[in-house]
Amino acid sequence: MDHINFEVKKGEVFGFLGPNGAGKTTTIRMLTGISIPTEGTATIMGYDIESQSVEAKEQMGIVPDVSNVYNELSAWDNLIFTGKLYDMPKAYREKRAEELLRMFGLLERYKEKVQGFSRGMKRRICIAMALMNRSHILFLDEPTSGLDVQSVLVIRDLIHRLNQQGLTVFLTTHNIEEASQMCDHVAIINHGKIAVIDTPEKLKRTVENIQSVEVAFETVSPNMLKELKEFPNVSNVVKEGDKFKLITNDSTSVLTSTWNYAQKNNLRLITVNTLGPSLEDVFVKLTGIRSATEEEGNDRIKAQETPRRIAKQ
Amino acid sequence: MSNVHSSHYGREIRVAWAIAVKDMRTYYTKPPSLMFGILFPFSLFLSFSIGRNMPLATQIPILISQTLFFASSSIGPVVIPMERANQTFDRFLTSPVSLFSILLGKTLAGIIYGAGISVIPVLVGIAFLGSQIVSIGAMIACFALSSLAFSALGIMFASIPGQTPGQVMMPLNFVRIPLLFISGVFTPIGELPTWMQAVSMLSPLTHTVELARYATGGETFFGPVLNIAILTAYAAAFLFMGIRFHIMNQRKE
Repeated sequence: MDHINFEVKKGEVFGFLGPNGAGKTTTIRMLTGISIPTEGTATIMGYDIESQSVEAKEQMGIVPDVSNVYNELSAWDNLIFTGKLYDMPKAYREKRAEELLRMFGLLERYKEKVQGFSRGMKRRICIAMALMNRSHILFLDEPTSGLDVQSVLVIRDLIHRLNQQGLTVFLTTHNIEEASQMCDHVAIINHGKIAVIDTPEKLKRTVENIQSVEVAFETVSPNMLKELKEFPNVSNVVKEGDKFKLITNDSTSVLTSTWNYAQKNNLRLITVNTLGPSLEDVFVKLTGIRSATEEEGNDRIKAQETPRRIAKQ
Repeated sequence: MSNVHSSHYGREIRVAWAIAVKDMRTYYTKPPSLMFGILFPFSLFLSFSIGRNMPLATQIPILISQTLFFASSSIGPVVIPMERANQTFDRFLTSPVSLFSILLGKTLAGIIYGAGISVIPVLVGIAFLGSQIVSIGAMIACFALSSLAFSALGIMFASIPGQTPGQVMMPLNFVRIPLLFISGVFTPIGELPTWMQAVSMLSPLTHTVELARYATGGETFFGPVLNIAILTAYAAAFLFMGIRFHIMNQRKE
């Protein structure tokens, strides 16, 4: 990390957005006491993380990027053990464990060993463990990474509900959509430095001149990506599923070009949408890195094109 | 003020005990614990004792020492790398408790494992081989101090940032195996050359063997007081160094 400086307000959802290796997890590890910073200071709810580490840790709950539950123990025993680590009295920790298992929809399976649980369930147990001590701030490191769509929605809903109840949330993510949907403030981090901190909407306004046109044709040819990139005023084209996203500063001109292209090639247009700037555009502008979705989409096009090129040679 | 301190220490001890109990439930029956903690010392003992013209009762202190040595020092190197691999060790570091209590809990798990297994040769010796405990105090000191020192030794080695027990066991065995040869386990210290006797005095295992021999009516070379003093010093040194090395690891991350 390189001299980062930020403040998270009480009761807000603060997102650390950045590519892999940017320093998101390192920041969480330092704030939560797993790693010791070589220099600088940080306070959690007014407590210094080094000189008042016990008090600072009493304020927080941590959900790492890997669900670090004890697979050999039951859901109940995992929560009870966490309660013991916080030295909670027996009656209180048992009441709290039952309350959390009910809240997270796991009460019926409280006796089962966690090793038989799905990833989504383990993640829920992990969040429940982080909430055992009624923490004031919850650290979530890539909370939805590697989960199925249903689990992602459940976890996001849980985080939203907990935040509504007054819990401060600090989350790291490389998922731009997640940061945009969930966070009150977002810090974009790259190479250990914070590039910018603001609300998602204000960040989007910084790239107002970036617009995009989303188009989908009934049939897709291998050369389509290349041909769309040749449109006037188009700076980039990204394939997202069966759609193409044309990045431009003049959407009117691109709409006309798209219409002409469809007519010339006898293609049927299924979707045409003009889109405002997204948090992804801000991210790309600041980091120069395209998101995983974009990379994958373009890689798929390249893979389709390669056999044809080989055949021509 | 004193109430604050007593409640603080009480909390640290309760948490350390909770960690130890969790480790017992979770890791005592894991294959690496069984292999390095039980199979290893018993098979070493058998390979050494079979075919030697020694009364079985006199071999019991050797078996006690080996089980105390290997079983106690194996729990930390099994538990901590496995917990690092699934990030459950981070759970301790993020909980409101000192690193000392975390490592004390791990050390306790090693002590109970080593002492528990080492009770078996004592009972077998008394029940079937005619062994006698002539000094209960020496036997208790032998069990308590040796299991503490060796468990702390294991915790100290577990600061090596590996994610599998093998990554810690290998360097640990580079220390454990040579100690077997200089500690009067295979050859009585009195029969060693003078310079080897001096080296032997530096090994904590020597003092475990000596105390076990003394407790069962055998002869000792250095005397039980020196044995106890040296084992106590090693236990304190290993605990202190273990904590320092784990803190260095946290700084390196």
